[in-house]
Amino acid sequence: MNATMAQQSPKLTATTSGFVLAAAVAALFNTALAWARDAYTPWNGIMKSLTGNAWTAHCLADLVLFVGLGLIFTKTRAAEKIDPNRLTVALIGAVAIGALGLALWFAFV
Amino acid sequence: MNVSASDAVLLAHAGFGVTGCLAALWVFLEALHAEPGNAARIRAAALVTAVSMAAAWICGGYWYVHFYPAEKALILSGPWPFAHNLFMETKEHLFLITGMLAFLLPVTTREKLFSNAAARKLVLSVAALIVVTGLAVEGAGAVIEHGAKVSLLRGAKGDR
Repeated sequence: MNATMAQQSPKLTATTSGFVLAAAVAALFNTALAWARDAYTPWNGIMKSLTGNAWTAHCLADLVLFVGLGLIFTKTRAAEKIDPNRLTVALIGAVAIGALGLALWFAFV
Repeated sequence: MNVSASDAVLLAHAGFGVTGCLAALWVFLEALHAEPGNAARIRAAALVTAVSMAAAWICGGYWYVHFYPAEKALILSGPWPFAHNLFMETKEHLFLITGMLAFLLPVTTREKLFSNAAARKLVLSVAALIVVTGLAVEGAGAVIEHGAKVSLLRGAKGDR
């Protein structure tokens, strides 16, 4: 990183910050939904009845949440107020928690 | 040579996944040296990442829904049931995070990375997360296939 870069404002556009926050939320939601499907079989059945396969419904739920929240956060400029570096850390944290949450759940529960 | 539809779809899934990981690594390396001259290349690589991961998602999803149930039964009856219970269960959900990150990457690379340190850090992080989770998913795929293989081998030897 050169001196010019460091001096400039570290802001992200409303679209970028909105979709980064949406991705962090969707990553955590993805793991929570996987836990719910595994822990409560009737919930898995409900999801299966929606698309014919519970995993397909899970994919659609994740994508709808990611795109929907991304558009909402972009329009309301909600995520733009968050410091960009904090947003990056939040995304890394959400992915790490989501990934470890999945692995540990299926390893021990 | 006898390549079935199941084989072709499964290999396409793994191939697109590896391509997506390599494209994300390309974005990471270009972003380390972000300048106006490579901005278009970074965006192109980010797009390749998203398209490859989407293709891997579609191929993997199709194979999972149509062909995996038989392989799952085989794995669970063999000596490596954890290939499904731990590795497939984790992979089929972890990949969804990788996919969303891949769709996020082209959005983040629209920023001026050469003049915005925070945006550059964000792109480096997203690309690295895609590579790490993508490689974990690829590795899990290898364990799942080996789980099916050892089940077949034990069955063939009659010691199951």
